[in-house]
Amino acid sequence: MFGGLREKLKAARQRLGGSIEAAAAKAETEEKAVPKAGSPATPSAPAKGPVTSTATPSFVEKVRVLITERELIVSEKDVDEALSELEMTLLESDVALPATDAIIASVEKNLVGRHRKIGESVDALVVNALKVALLDVLGSGFNLKEYIMTHERPVKILFTGVNGTGKTTTVAKIGSYLKKEGFTVVIGAGDTYRAGAIEQISVHAERIGIKVIQHQEGADPSAVLFDAVQYAQSHKLDVVLADTAGRFHNKANLMSQLEKIKRVMKPDLVVYVDEAVAGNDAVTRAFEFDKTVGADAVILTKADMDSRGGAAISIAHTIGKPLMFLGVGQAYDDILPFEPAKVVDELLDSGA
Amino acid sequence: MLDGLSSSLKDALKKLAGKTVVDRAAVDELVKDLQRALIVSDVNVKLVMELSKAIRTRSLEEEPPKGMNVREHVLRIVYQELVRLVWASTEVRLEPQTILMAGLQGSGKTTTTAKLARYFQKKGMKVGVICADTFRPGAFDQISTLCTKIHVPCFGNPQEKDALKITREGLEALKEQELIIVDTQGRHALEADLIQEIIDLNVLTKATHRWLVIDAALGQQASEQAKRFHEAIGIDGVIITKMDGTAKGGGAMSAVAETKSGIAFIGSGETIEDLERFDPDGFISRLLGMGDLKALLERANEAIKPEDVDVNAMMKGKFTLRDMYKQLEALNKMGPLKQIMGMLPMGNMQLPEGVYDVTSTKMVRYRIIMDSMTPGELDEPALINSSRMQRIAHGAGATPDEVRELLKYYKMMQRTMKGLRGAGSGKFNMQRLMKRFSGMQ
Repeated sequence: MFGGLREKLKAARQRLGGSIEAAAAKAETEEKAVPKAGSPATPSAPAKGPVTSTATPSFVEKVRVLITERELIVSEKDVDEALSELEMTLLESDVALPATDAIIASVEKNLVGRHRKIGESVDALVVNALKVALLDVLGSGFNLKEYIMTHERPVKILFTGVNGTGKTTTVAKIGSYLKKEGFTVVIGAGDTYRAGAIEQISVHAERIGIKVIQHQEGADPSAVLFDAVQYAQSHKLDVVLADTAGRFHNKANLMSQLEKIKRVMKPDLVVYVDEAVAGNDAVTRAFEFDKTVGADAVILTKADMDSRGGAAISIAHTIGKPLMFLGVGQAYDDILPFEPAKVVDELLDSGA
Repeated sequence: MLDGLSSSLKDALKKLAGKTVVDRAAVDELVKDLQRALIVSDVNVKLVMELSKAIRTRSLEEEPPKGMNVREHVLRIVYQELVRLVWASTEVRLEPQTILMAGLQGSGKTTTTAKLARYFQKKGMKVGVICADTFRPGAFDQISTLCTKIHVPCFGNPQEKDALKITREGLEALKEQELIIVDTQGRHALEADLIQEIIDLNVLTKATHRWLVIDAALGQQASEQAKRFHEAIGIDGVIITKMDGTAKGGGAMSAVAETKSGIAFIGSGETIEDLERFDPDGFISRLLGMGDLKALLERANEAIKPEDVDVNAMMKGKFTLRDMYKQLEALNKMGPLKQIMGMLPMGNMQLPEGVYDVTSTKMVRYRIIMDSMTPGELDEPALINSSRMQRIAHGAGATPDEVRELLKYYKMMQRTMKGLRGAGSGKFNMQRLMKRFSGMQ
C-alpha cells in the first residue's frame, strides 16, 4: 500500500523542485542579462525551464558560484503549475477534494515566501513542506496494545462502518492479533441483520479459538452486545470486540440503532472501519459516523487492493482520528499496525 | 441517491442559464464546475480531463445548429458527452442464460445475486443460483437464506473448497432452470490465483453474461480493477451497488468506460426488491434534473395493478382525498416518495420540503384516519368542519390535530400536483428541451 502514491509523489516533488530551480535560474539570468543559463539543478530535480546551456563550462561554473551565494524568495507564481500537478496526483490517488485542498494549501503556505539559500537543496525544502502537510493530516497513530494495558478491563471495542467494508473480517483479525498478544477476547455477533453474518463470525471465531456471544438472526443487536459485555465481566476477560451490521450514514433509523447500541454497551473505543479503495464518499460517511456515534480510531481494510491509499489521508483529515490498523489480505495475520511517521518517511524516502 | 452530483451539475448549468452571453469565459467556468463535480463523484481523473476537453472544444468550435441558441447548444453538448461517458445500457434478454458474477470483496455480489434472481423471477423465468464462494465463512448461509425467502433453488456446499467442482455439480443439478446465476467469491485484480479461478469458472459455465459488481463508493481504483477483470473474462456489464448511500458511483462509471460495456443494474437498498434497470438517457436526465419517466412507469407497472389507480390520476386536475388514499397505497408499493419524485420531470422546480417528511409510518396513520371518513368527505374534503373532525379523530383513535395535519398534507399534495401540471408547459421545460436534443443526436 502507498507504493503507487509514493511513486507519484516523487514525480510531483521533482516537478516542484524543478520549477523552483527554474525560477531561480530565470531570476538569475534576467538579472545578469545572460540568455538561458544552465540551471544548477541537483540531479534529482530536472529543471523544466530553460536548461539548454550554450555557454562554456567555465561560464556555467561562474554562474553557479554566483547563484549559490544568492538568496531566493519563492513566489506563488513559481510553484503554481507544479502545485496543480500535485493536486492532480493526490486526486488520482483517491485523496478526496477537501483533503487535497488542505494539503495543497499547507504546502503552498510552507513554500511561498520562504527565503532560501540557493545552495540549500530544493528537494529538502519541498520534502519538508510535504512532510509537514502529510503528518499534519495523518496524526500520530494509535497503539491498541498500550491502550488495553492502561485501561480498566474489559476494554469494550465497537466496530462501525457502512456495508461491505469488511467489519466482520476485521473483528476476526483483531481478535486473532490480540489473542497472539496474550489478551483474552470475546466477540459479540452484533450483525443480526445480514443473512449469514452470524455464521460468518462464528466460523472465524472457531478457527481462531475465541468465544462468540450470539443470538438468532433478527435479534436486537444491543441485547447481544450487552450479553457479550456481561460475559466478559463475569469471566474476567480483557477485551470485548463488538461486530455490528453495516449501515449507511443516511439511514436515520439504523444510525439511531447504533446510538442505542452505544448507550447500552458503553464502548471504550469506537472504531470506524472503511475500505482503502473508497473514493470521495469516504469523507462524507466518516464525517457522519463521527458525528452520530463518534470514532476514536480508524481501521482501513482492503489496503492490498490498492497502492494509493488516498482514503487514509481523506478520512484522517476529515475526522482527525488516528489510523490504527491496515487490513492487507484475506488471512488472519494480514493486519498491520499503522505508524504515520514511518509511512510518511517511506513515502518521501529520499530514494529520488 | 446522487443528490450531491445532481445538484452541483444543476448549479453549473443554472449558472450558464443565468449568463447573458455565452462566451469563452462562460464555457471555461462551466467546464471547471463540471470538472469539480465529477471529480468529487469519483469519476476517473483522466476521464474527467478528456470529457471536459471535449465539451470545451466542441462548445467553442462547433456551430450551433439552426434554430438553437448557443446556450442550448452547450447544454446539449454537456448532455451528449455525459451520456457517452456512461455508455449504453446492457441488453438484458429474458431467455435461458448463465450469468457469472465478479467483483471485489464486499462490493455486494451475494446480495445482488439474490436481487437478480428475484428480478428475473418476477419477469416469469425459472431461476437457479450456484454459490461458488468457497472462501468466506457464512457465504452459503447468506445466499441460501435469501434464496429460500424467494423460493429460488440454490446449490452449494460449505464443506467443499473447490469452486469449480461445486459449479460443475451445480450446473448439473440446476439444469431444469432456465437462468442460472453463479455467485463467486470476492477477489481483486492483484490476486493472480483467484483471477485464474474466475477465468476457469468462465470457461466452465460458458457464461452468457459476465457482470462486474462495483460499490458506488469505489474511487479512482475502479478503472484499474475493471481493466484487469475485463482482460481476464471480458466483462459485458456493470452493476453498481450501494447507491442508497451518499456515494456518487463515479468510480463505477469509469469502470464502464474502461470495459466499454454498460451499466446493467443499479442496487439501491437492502431489501431484495431494491434493484433497478439502468438506462443511460434516464440516468443522465435524472442527474441534470430532467426526470426519468421511463423508470417511473416501469416501477409503477410492476407495483400497481391496473385496478388500483392509473398513474395519470396523479397528473389530472381533480385531486380528492380518495385519490390521495390510493396514491399513498400505491406509493407505498413503489418505494420512498423522494425516489419517486426524483424520477418526475420537474426541472429546477423545488418541492416544499415537507412533502418528503411523510414517512411510511405516517402514511399508515393517514390511511387509518381516512378510513374513518365518510365517502362524501373523501370526495369533498371541504366538508370537514370541526365537529366532523372530532368524529373522525375519535373513530381513528387519533387526535383532531392529526386530522388537521392530514388535511394540511392533502392541500400541499394538491398544490404540488397542480404545480407538476404547470411545469409541463413552462417556458424553461427541461424535459422538452432534452427531447429535442436527443432527437438531434
